[in-house]
Amino acid sequence: MTPVEHAPTPRRRQDREPRPEPDAVVLHDVWRAWGGAVAVAGLTFALRPGEIAACVGVTGAGKSTALRMVMGAIVPDRGEIRVLGHDPARDFGLLRGKIAPVFQTDRLLPWRTALENAALGLEILGVPAEERRRRAQAWLERLGLTAAASKLPHELSGGMRQRVSLARAFALDPQLLLLDEAFSHLDEVTAAGVRADFLSLARPLGTTCLLVTHSVAEAVEVADRILVFGRPARVVAEVRVAAPVRADPVAQDRVRREVLAHLQGAMAG
Amino acid sequence: MLGTLRGWRETLLVVAALLATLQLGSLVVPKYILPDVPAIAQAAREVLVSDARDIAATLLRLTEGVAAAFALGSLLGVAMGAVPAVARYARPLLNIMMAVPALNWILFAILWFGSAEVRVFFVVVVISLPFYALNVYEGIRGVPADLVEAVEAFRPTRTQAIRILLLPHTVPYIIMTTRSVLGYAIRITIFAELIGTAIGIGARLNAAQSQFRIDAVFAWTAVLVVINFVLQAAVERLDRRLLRWRPEQALR
Ligand SMILES: Nc1ncnc2c1ncn2[C@@H]1O[C@H](COP(=O)(O)OP(=O)(O)O)[C@@H](O)[C@H]1O
Ligand SMILES: [Mg+2]
Repeated sequence: MTPVEHAPTPRRRQDREPRPEPDAVVLHDVWRAWGGAVAVAGLTFALRPGEIAACVGVTGAGKSTALRMVMGAIVPDRGEIRVLGHDPARDFGLLRGKIAPVFQTDRLLPWRTALENAALGLEILGVPAEERRRRAQAWLERLGLTAAASKLPHELSGGMRQRVSLARAFALDPQLLLLDEAFSHLDEVTAAGVRADFLSLARPLGTTCLLVTHSVAEAVEVADRILVFGRPARVVAEVRVAAPVRADPVAQDRVRREVLAHLQGAMAG
Repeated sequence: MLGTLRGWRETLLVVAALLATLQLGSLVVPKYILPDVPAIAQAAREVLVSDARDIAATLLRLTEGVAAAFALGSLLGVAMGAVPAVARYARPLLNIMMAVPALNWILFAILWFGSAEVRVFFVVVVISLPFYALNVYEGIRGVPADLVEAVEAFRPTRTQAIRILLLPHTVPYIIMTTRSVLGYAIRITIFAELIGTAIGIGARLNAAQSQFRIDAVFAWTAVLVVINFVLQAAVERLDRRLLRWRPEQALR
């Protein structure tokens, strides 16, 4: 399951004897049930630093459950999870500032302006007020929200709110971004725009990203590697998407069909 | 905005109708039962000039009592929200407190405390506190799980989570409670002042009653109605200022 070849990682070490960087996320035989129903069944995978990976699965496959375990919001029934070398649930404070989430809906605090929302993570990290304003503002600008900084969430469109939510995640300069259907709630045109902006920001930064989505097309467009989930969640297939493929519509389509076939196979089996 | 204006016009019409009825009534009924409007106006002028101190005393007592009930009640509500065991025991206790009639609290206050100030304070606090505690508790329990998860994902300390999420979320509940408590608390304050206080609106009402000054009773009634309206309007303004983030608030 451990990937063999990877793209060079942007955060290189200066060690004399080059040691491979540890994986950013490791799940080993992770199980989780809700009530009696198993949602995650022996999930195993690892993410290299800087990698963008997408987990694709049908609705109810247990994608969100898996992601919430990586986030540390819930704990597995059994199995092991390491995130940046820590147990995400137990080492709650140690990962502060290192992980940032983006959800399907914006989940902004309705009483805070876009700027105050974007600064949330920095505030929790203890960044001084002036600096966090500056950093949050810069990210709002990068996401095309310069004019919206002082607006309240209910004054913004769904696409803008989701951009604020991305700014909130990026402003933290996290080592790991976790996205749960982050573009699924938007109409196709808006989603494509937000997705493109997300990629143009995340790729140059080399931030490790773990996305879950039910959209095969989205996974192919965004990810370096696609993990196909069965239901309950476990990896039934893994598909790599090289950069040239993402640039080529015909090649993209081929990968899309391949992923879809894996998904349908998992459902039939 | 339109709604408010229309509301005002209707209020003024009702006031005019009440005054007209009073004036007509005073022509038929003896003056010591229904004074005429000029007499009431005269009494109100006297009251506002010579008894401003009493109005201030009552408002101060009201503010002290409600402020203490707000502080203690909110604290208890937060504790209930944070520690389930506190909620399990505080809930029945608060429900029992709320089931005790105001009059009984006043009797207890008279029996327990010598100082009139302490009596009024005790009664206002004991009656208002459960509302704050229960509503703040409701507010905390009503924080959307989605927002809790989103904020928690940034790994705040417990204090940060309370400051960033719980407190702002409970502000509307606190305002709503203040709105309903104020009208009740002012009645309780005056009720408690009737017994054993030398200054305050309750004391003046008591004096007016014993001197058969029906015009003064009417005047005080009018003053109290106005005070109530002003307080409600003040809370409403606060409400609009603090809660402009709520879309339904913007629609008004
Ligand atoms: N908080 C929860 N309580 C009970 N059951 C849950 C909860 N969250 C998810 N589930 C169940 O777990 C299964 C997987 O859900 P989820 O992880 O949300 O799937 P996905 O995100 O892939 O759509 C579903 O059957 C769902 O009903
Ligand atoms: Mg989901």
